[in-house]
Amino acid sequence: MKKDIQKIPLSQIAATFFMIGATGFGGGMAIVALVERRCVLEKKWLPHDEFLHGLAFGQILGPFSLNIATFVGYYLRGSIGGILAATAFIAPSFLLVTALSYLYFRFHQVPQLNSALLGSNPVVIALIVVAGIGMARRKAARLETAAVAASAFAASVLLGVSALSVLLLAGCWGLWKGWRTGRGR
Amino acid sequence: MAGILKICWLFLKIGVVFFGGGYVLIPLLHRIMVDQLHWLSLREFLDGVALSQLTPGPLAMLATFAGYKAAGFFGALAATVCIFFPCTALMLFLSSRYQKFRRVEAVNHFLDGILPAVVGLVFAAAFNLGRTSLSSTRDFILLGAGFAVLQFTAIAPMAVILGAAVVGLLLKLS
Repeated sequence: MKKDIQKIPLSQIAATFFMIGATGFGGGMAIVALVERRCVLEKKWLPHDEFLHGLAFGQILGPFSLNIATFVGYYLRGSIGGILAATAFIAPSFLLVTALSYLYFRFHQVPQLNSALLGSNPVVIALIVVAGIGMARRKAARLETAAVAASAFAASVLLGVSALSVLLLAGCWGLWKGWRTGRGR
Repeated sequence: MAGILKICWLFLKIGVVFFGGGYVLIPLLHRIMVDQLHWLSLREFLDGVALSQLTPGPLAMLATFAGYKAAGFFGALAATVCIFFPCTALMLFLSSRYQKFRRVEAVNHFLDGILPAVVGLVFAAAFNLGRTSLSSTRDFILLGAGFAVLQFTAIAPMAVILGAAVVGLLLKLS
């Protein structure tokens, strides 16, 4: 574990992820963008690099909104922090789905929230793009790294390459680069 | 009413296969819930997918819905805990390995290489979402407005998302 300079209180971790879980409509990458804003940029709970590593792991393992919550929680306070962050993040959705299920099996109707989603969907995309631009400024600003980011984008969107393969290839590129600079020394 | 234990075991198993990501889940749950166990009718299943997409949680919130149908509130709770347990446990394990191996030089090179690719994947997610949900000029106006607010003001993103949802409700977008 890290030498904890100041320990983040568990209650703060829970409150933060509960809020994100209660308002992050759009799910998935929108959650990631929210977590980045709250935990990395505003509260400075963890450095940007580590956050992106966590995001990479999260993409390999399924639901990355939940995974990034677990990762940040673990980073701050170990396993308890991770479980707490994951639980706090899921709780609002759980309560919402349970309430909606109750109504649904009673009245057999899905609530008409479509127009709400049609309003928020484009804004969710904007949120992800804003987060992406911020990340790109920090991590893909040089010609070389920008090219890697662009290739990852193209491979994923145009060729349908899976996130896992993209990340593995990029990791190998990193290894190769490290080996080359090591040799040049 | 199916036993809670049966629900737990079932969703634990589903949680283990879940690593591939959300969309493997729909065909899998469909086969189990609708074809094999008859817990849900096809109609209910599809409505459940729609319901779970209304929430900020992942698509796997569908488990909550199915669990509710099978055994009420506690069924929903058991299904939710069990479907997320395997991936959370694995993520905790991975996070702890990460803290350890971070110090190895080769691992660091590998992780450094990953960083720009992650940025590319973030944009890919935005692009894929946009491809399926941006169709009219109205959508692009909302996108532009949202972008301007989020990029150039300090208004909390949660407020912006909820605000946009309210705008959608008030204008009765369809």
